[in-house]
Amino acid sequence: MSDVQIFADLAFYLVAALILVSALGVLFARRVLHAALALLPCLLGIAGLYAVLAAHFMFAVQILIYAGAITVLILFAVMMLQRILGGGILAGSHNPLVGLLAAGTMFLALVAALLMTDFAGQDPGSLGVGNAAQLGQALLTREVLAFEALSVVILAAIIGAIVIARTRAEGE
Amino acid sequence: MHFAAPQFYLPGLHVGLQHYLILAGLLFVMGLFAVLTRRHAVAILLGLELMLNAANLNLVAFNRYVQPAAVSGQVFALMVIALAACEAAVGLALILALYRNIGSVTPDEMDQLRG
Repeated sequence: MSDVQIFADLAFYLVAALILVSALGVLFARRVLHAALALLPCLLGIAGLYAVLAAHFMFAVQILIYAGAITVLILFAVMMLQRILGGGILAGSHNPLVGLLAAGTMFLALVAALLMTDFAGQDPGSLGVGNAAQLGQALLTREVLAFEALSVVILAAIIGAIVIARTRAEGE
Repeated sequence: MHFAAPQFYLPGLHVGLQHYLILAGLLFVMGLFAVLTRRHAVAILLGLELMLNAANLNLVAFNRYVQPAAVSGQVFALMVIALAACEAAVGLALILALYRNIGSVTPDEMDQLRG
């Protein structure tokens, strides 16, 4: 067991605790704004796990797009709704029993599947080096169709979001 | 500098693929719980983000532990992140439009199509 591996394990446990605690905040915060803010450390923690998994490009993308753009977008929408509705919006919960039952069953099924599967996994050992160049090459050669299709989807989503969210002028 | 493995360092504590899968599973069911129990549409979207992140974590972990030389898992996760961004934008736009039209952001009250 190398020193680096012990530190990587330690990092995993610390970050996993951060992720689970802030996810609890997303689940149980009373105000929507607080739930959205609790999502932020959760997403940053997942970025940290990407770094531990030697997916350095994913680490950067997770921070830039998820923690940066998506969280800000959600906060922006929540604050806009707060302005319209006036005051903090309560998230409210209902059917906790049904939710607990469904989530518990799902988790048991996942763990059962995990225990019954023999993963042909290997221990990659130490932290490893990043492979951003390899990822870029894959995106522009083998995965180029998915990449280009994705840009069309994003364009459609941007236009769609604007069309759906805008206020219509009189007589339109 | 050299650190010896502490005495309490049991073999099961060594992080492997299973640890990531269990963490992602927990995160996924927490997202599921939020989607099923929250009453505000934006809070439901937050639960969806948790579920998508759990899936992403799985993809990257599988990439690392099963096929470290390839990047397919990371490409998948990148696509999921981009689609999640689209989903958030369109979802929030829909919530705003729904609020304008029916004056509510609670999915229970969006029952205009009920016969």
